[in-house]
Amino acid sequence: MNKWPFFLILILAMQSCVAVKEYDKLYINDPDMKLAAKQAEKYETTFQVYREAAAGANGGKTGGGCGCN
Amino acid sequence: MKKALILVVILINLTAFAQDKENPATFKKRVLENTEVDFLLSYYNQDGTHSPVSGGIGSEKLTDIASNIVVAVPINEDDVLTIDVGISTYTSASSSNINPFNSNKTSTSTSSGASGKSTSTTVSTAPYGTPWQASSGASKSDQLTSVSANYSHSSDNRNNLWNADVSFSNEFDYTSVGFGGGFTKLFNEKNTEISLKANAYLDQWRPIYPTELHEYGTYGANFQNQGYLTGVTIMDRYGNKSTNYLPSAFAPYSNSNRNSYSASISFSQILTKKIQLSVFMDLLKQEGLLATPYQRVYFADKANYYIGQSQYIPVYGSYENKGVYQLADDKERLPSTRFKIPIGARINFYINEYVVARAYYRYYQDNWGIQAHTASIELPIKINSKFTAYPMYRYYTQTASDYFAPYEQHLSTEKFYTSDYDLSKFKSNQYGLGFTYTDIFTRARIFILGLKSIDLRLNHYQRSDGLSANIASFGFKFEVQ
Repeated sequence: MNKWPFFLILILAMQSCVAVKEYDKLYINDPDMKLAAKQAEKYETTFQVYREAAAGANGGKTGGGCGCN
Repeated sequence: MKKALILVVILINLTAFAQDKENPATFKKRVLENTEVDFLLSYYNQDGTHSPVSGGIGSEKLTDIASNIVVAVPINEDDVLTIDVGISTYTSASSSNINPFNSNKTSTSTSSGASGKSTSTTVSTAPYGTPWQASSGASKSDQLTSVSANYSHSSDNRNNLWNADVSFSNEFDYTSVGFGGGFTKLFNEKNTEISLKANAYLDQWRPIYPTELHEYGTYGANFQNQGYLTGVTIMDRYGNKSTNYLPSAFAPYSNSNRNSYSASISFSQILTKKIQLSVFMDLLKQEGLLATPYQRVYFADKANYYIGQSQYIPVYGSYENKGVYQLADDKERLPSTRFKIPIGARINFYINEYVVARAYYRYYQDNWGIQAHTASIELPIKINSKFTAYPMYRYYTQTASDYFAPYEQHLSTEKFYTSDYDLSKFKSNQYGLGFTYTDIFTRARIFILGLKSIDLRLNHYQRSDGLSANIASFGFKFEVQ
């Protein structure tokens, strides 16, 4: 739990950022800049959930649906 | 926890509706212009030497083919309904050994009578098996079917997004029903996004136990003279016939439910014109039957017993074992509750018009004693306006669960035990290559479907305990025209 201060400081620090205007979001709107995982990546996430103890914090499913962990 | 989750979902939904009545007269771009259809397919295979069904040794060969069709339908300017239907089929050497015994072996023996001329052939139906090969048992293959629906609603100014989802999945011994909801708020000129999500999965096992434990559970102490084991020779570690095998630690589960409740929060921020970042945190509670009913455990302080061919007992733990299987002392036992806390962050950096860097890190901790770190990087390289290639690498490490020990190292006096190497200490490396074809004008068409993009991902996975896997995933995105 000693990771908490890092994430808290990170979130607070980001509040000071200057807003990027819509017309300046050409690079941000590039398909490869999406913060979500691609559809085809879901199968990799599924087998990782089967084969590893850790899961979650990736915007995806965190439990249920199979007899895995 | 249940009440808190339900309360969170209700509050999220109320907040979304309360903030949704803004500037109704302004022009609205549709959230989704046309219906989109994704066809997804994957092929996965793995091999290893630590089968959990055989108590931590044995073949982990597994092949899985999965496919999904995802249809996103714009209901109106603001609302989108997404349906995901999937089917996954696997064959597994490990799970085939829930019943490891093949009983159709034919053998020829020659006996000499007093005259020295008599020869006879006998057919042996004595069961035999090995943890190193798949048996012919029904559990060698299974199918998982799943369906989920997600309904999302965006506010007029697109700064508020509400969604609700339901899901159902079923396989031979497991059924899951899930539901949840979430709310996303964008502000700071859509530079900042906060998202809250809550889900519950109410799952049900239909427990299947290893054959010898099932027989003990059905017939009690006299199980060797009834049911499947009638007439079957059980041997001790010297290969001598024995009737002393008694897995008295085993008892069928009284509760076969597994419920999962999760609450998630994510925060996204555009940092500069070329960098954006997201931080995620989930809180997950699981309760009920968290062990896998058919995973065997062998105790170090209990005598070993076998069914099969005695000559293989000395080489039981190696591939040379072609025909003997050790009888379980018990199935795995794990606590009935588990709390998981994963915290992750993703940062994407548009380096130049050719290269983007996508980096991800996650820290994970649970109350079974596991801590894990995950780090990955993906580098999409734009070959031209339509083709992108992206090499990727992922590193993962975890500590062992408090309840894990390898084959034959648990003691019968322990309260919880498992020999599932997914809960052991290990590191893994995954590396691969992906390709994307994108055509925003959807020139290629199949009937009414215009092809928007094709994704191909090839990955190799190597775990430090020897397990290795390969996975190929394909994604085709079409737009209905």
